[in-house]
Amino acid sequence: MNVLSCSINKLNGLYDISGVEVGQHFYWKIGGFQVHGQVLITSWVVIAILLGSATLAVRNPQTIPTSGQNFFEYVLEFIRDVSKTQIGEEYGPWVPFIGTMFLFIFVSNWSGALLPWKIIQLPHGELAAPTNDINTTVALALLTSVAYFYAGISKKGLGYFGKYIQPTPILLPINILEDFTKPLSLSFRLFGNILADELVVVVLVSLVPLVVPIPVMFLGLFTSGIQALIFATLAAAYIGESMEGHH
Amino acid sequence: MKNVTDSFVSLGHWPSAGSFGFNTDILATNLINLSVVLGVLVFFGKGVLSDLLDNRKQRILNTIRNSEELRGGAIEQLEKARTRLRKVEMEADQFRVNGYSEIERERLNFINSTSKTLKQLENYKNETINFEQQRAINQVRQLVFQQALQGALGTLSSCLNNELHLRTIRANIGMLGAITD
Repeated sequence: MNVLSCSINKLNGLYDISGVEVGQHFYWKIGGFQVHGQVLITSWVVIAILLGSATLAVRNPQTIPTSGQNFFEYVLEFIRDVSKTQIGEEYGPWVPFIGTMFLFIFVSNWSGALLPWKIIQLPHGELAAPTNDINTTVALALLTSVAYFYAGISKKGLGYFGKYIQPTPILLPINILEDFTKPLSLSFRLFGNILADELVVVVLVSLVPLVVPIPVMFLGLFTSGIQALIFATLAAAYIGESMEGHH
Repeated sequence: MKNVTDSFVSLGHWPSAGSFGFNTDILATNLINLSVVLGVLVFFGKGVLSDLLDNRKQRILNTIRNSEELRGGAIEQLEKARTRLRKVEMEADQFRVNGYSEIERERLNFINSTSKTLKQLENYKNETINFEQQRAINQVRQLVFQQALQGALGTLSSCLNNELHLRTIRANIGMLGAITD
């Protein structure tokens, strides 16, 4: 009897595990829109981490940088490097944008991989990295689209649209299609990677709670960093591509 | 075993509805793995990061030191150039003063010599004038004398007869004799 109940319990458990579902959300209603509350909460935490650490680091700037300032200057140098290699000479105005993208995505991904979000239970859904949600990544990708359009048009005016018939007008449909595939690929790449990452960890944890998930978690950390870098690099590359011209 | 299974089972109980709360299940919240990952990350990352930051700091320090050195050198050179400028200015002042006095002296000398020459010229002029006057006087004298002689000769040849001739010769002989005496 005991064994039976135990096995039933086990089955129940297995059934519940197989119900580890994606797409459970903690909905908030804001003016007729349904928003994913858990994403907003984690985004706020990420934003708070970024703003707080940046404020702490630059609160007392020194000529010879101390540890915190040194680290943040290093990060800034890294971002400037990325923007410079991708955009070219006029990378200056785009460093804030690229930096925001990179830092937000990076900290989001790593917070998803490192912070014990699951300690906090929500009425519905669960807390995870903000980039775990397609809305966040689509928003970031669309921002990138707007940014590269703005960059191109502000640099060349309406002549920017001349690149659609370069090198031949035959490529016009493909060039137009590119404007849609760019944000699509950006958002889905990031979303897919992070979601897959966290899912693999969750599934492994549910199967073997200890030790086994650790290598996968490290892999996740690695992938998260790479994905943030890829997103920032691609955004910079798109901006640079729309700004480069043969005058 | 039972414990593990229980936790395993309770893992499945996702809160489907309810309110905010804390999940105290250590295994479900993956706390152990997370802390291990964090620990390893801090353990290895710290060294790498601090190395990186130290290098950066060292680089900045070196750059600052280099620029400080360059600045010191530049200031030194500036100071040197300033002292040289001061010296040169002083020399120039000296030269100027010397030159002025030299010029003044030269001027005075020149004025002196000129006035001397002028005086000499004046003398010459006066002498020449005197000489010319003398000569003119002499000429006039000679002319008058010649005319007087001619007049005398004319008078002599017009009214000279034998007796007068003899008398004159005698008078002359007498005169000459008086002179020889």
